[in-house]
Amino acid sequence: MNVLECEGLLKAFDDLVAVDGVGFHIAAGETYGLLGPNGAGKTTSISMIAGILESDAGRVTVAGTEITTRTTDGKAQIGYVPQDIAIYPDLSARENLQFFGKLYGIPKQRLGSRIDEVLEVIGLSDRGDDRTEEYSGGMKRRLNIGIGLLHEPTLLILDEPTVGVDPQSRNAILESVEQLGRRGTALLYTTHYMEEAERLCDRVAIIDGGKIRAEGTRRQLVELVGQRDTISLGVVGSAARLVEALETIEEIESITSSEGSVEILVEGASRLLPRILDVAQQTGVGISGVEVVEPNLESVFLHLTGKALRD
Amino acid sequence: MKSWAITSTNIKRLIREPSTIFFVFVFPMLLILVLGASFGGGFTPKVGLLAEGQGEYAQAFVDQVIGNDDFETIDYDDRELLLEDVERGLVQMAVVVPVDYDTRITTGEVAEVGFVGRIDQSVVQYRSTIEAIVANESAIVRAARLQEAEGLSSFDEGATVARAMSLGSTGTEVEVETTGESLFGEDLGQFDLGAPSMLILFIFLTSLAGSAALIQTRRLGVSRRMVSTPTSIGEILVGETGGRFAVAMIQGLFIMIGAAVAFEVRWGNLGGASALLILMALVGAGAGMLMGALFDNDEQAGSMGVFIGLGLAALGGCMVPLEIFPDTMQTIAHLTPHAWALDGFAELIRRGGTIADIALELAVLAGFAVALLAAGTWRLRAKLTH
Repeated sequence: MNVLECEGLLKAFDDLVAVDGVGFHIAAGETYGLLGPNGAGKTTSISMIAGILESDAGRVTVAGTEITTRTTDGKAQIGYVPQDIAIYPDLSARENLQFFGKLYGIPKQRLGSRIDEVLEVIGLSDRGDDRTEEYSGGMKRRLNIGIGLLHEPTLLILDEPTVGVDPQSRNAILESVEQLGRRGTALLYTTHYMEEAERLCDRVAIIDGGKIRAEGTRRQLVELVGQRDTISLGVVGSAARLVEALETIEEIESITSSEGSVEILVEGASRLLPRILDVAQQTGVGISGVEVVEPNLESVFLHLTGKALRD
Repeated sequence: MKSWAITSTNIKRLIREPSTIFFVFVFPMLLILVLGASFGGGFTPKVGLLAEGQGEYAQAFVDQVIGNDDFETIDYDDRELLLEDVERGLVQMAVVVPVDYDTRITTGEVAEVGFVGRIDQSVVQYRSTIEAIVANESAIVRAARLQEAEGLSSFDEGATVARAMSLGSTGTEVEVETTGESLFGEDLGQFDLGAPSMLILFIFLTSLAGSAALIQTRRLGVSRRMVSTPTSIGEILVGETGGRFAVAMIQGLFIMIGAAVAFEVRWGNLGGASALLILMALVGAGAGMLMGALFDNDEQAGSMGVFIGLGLAALGGCMVPLEIFPDTMQTIAHLTPHAWALDGFAELIRRGGTIADIALELAVLAGFAVALLAAGTWRLRAKLTH
């Protein structure tokens, strides 16, 4: 059963169409990524999905309940972690959690123990009573996520949770997200970091200009645009002689060489690699190193939109 | 319940902020004290008295100054300190009895009593009282000199007789009658006039300045995060409005109770005063909500809040009494809620009115509150979800 279903989401700000017909679904336990550069329409899309921004058209349901800015019923199923650190700086982490716990309707007798659990999960147990304005950026980010987890939602929406975070905190956040996915929480994760989408997401939607350009698993996306693996060979000896010998292999799509290396574009690198190494051995050219680079979402995005993710 | 969570968090954040505590609680009370001390009706002026002359006649003069009910007398033995205290306003005037006062009196010369006052209108009134004492002493001295000149008695004997006759004389009494209605009432306490003005000024000013906290909550994304929870927009708006209203009420109650206890301010009919406070707090809450929804920059809103708050307070009669405004200005003043609230308090405090007597003022304030709250919540709702 799908936890989230959205279709035909549309939002315009005056003449600017920020989101244009976005629709997808997320199953229980699935991690779904919205990958796109800044201004692609990711935050606007999830704002409508979280019921904090009125859509001009379209429909969102979470666990079968329609979500809008005016409804409250289905929102207890959603945990929302905004890109901005949306906490009161003059309250402690515990007080922030208490505040949002009350808004989520967590019973008073459960709230105290649940706050302790969340503080433990986000690693702030020993700093829970300190004002959050005294926290580091990473600690604030963790609390920002903790508030979204407080009421144990069915769907957790994370809007670029690692922006502006140091590498150590970033890794901790990604591990937490992976754990949540393993526990069966459906996750909607927006990012403009290709590595995060590849690491975390079961399925990814490439979004740009307010529209979803492609959607699927990583492999499906790569195949969709016909990208090939690249085999990089470190060469000791004549690269030209090796290129000449490799041209006899029909499955190779293209070969480029430079001093000391040869780049071979193929479909199915693992299948062809032994044969390529055989040819190299027969020509007597020494091989100092082999690297296989599979196509990634960055190249998919480039292929689909004609621009890099960080443009 | 969820609205209360938002309201109580607003209150908690306010109480945590030391500067807010000063401006919400301490500063208004200080201003009431200063205004009461400077302009209050129950004020007793202080005379600094330096008696350099220690003789019999000097002492008689000093006794008359000390015995005057219009002053509180403070003794000095250092001329420079006395003049410095007059300059600083610690005493309103100084009277100096010279060291050769008795010698000059008994030898037929002129004795000069020094008088030093600050340059303000009240000194004229104080000086005339001292001059009356001097005139009385002069009459006794002239009588004694006459008796001495006529060979009827010595100067001292003549002075003793003249003083005794002066004390026994009924003299001339001036009967004073007034006509028309007193502007401020003669039985007003020292702080009764300033306290309502400060109450209204600060409730409104604090509410406007509090809009910065609302903008900060929006800018931090906390408001939108509230919308993502199973909390209706209505509950959020009620909670935020409640926060502004609670802060205004807490401040208003503090000023009213504090001024009543510390400065013996009489607020008049309890029901009427409570109704005025509640409605003025709602007006302030509405204005704060509107400002918090219209502005996106909390620093800009804070500055504008002070500007608008003080401007409307001045226009509405919180700084200069409405009664001395020209007619046209009085009409313009009543475009502000401040003027209506002040009218209400004037009726309760000065004329002993009841809640029924201020029905019009309450109705107008309720209208201001409804209009401002409606506009503020409407704009904020749009800001939160669009």
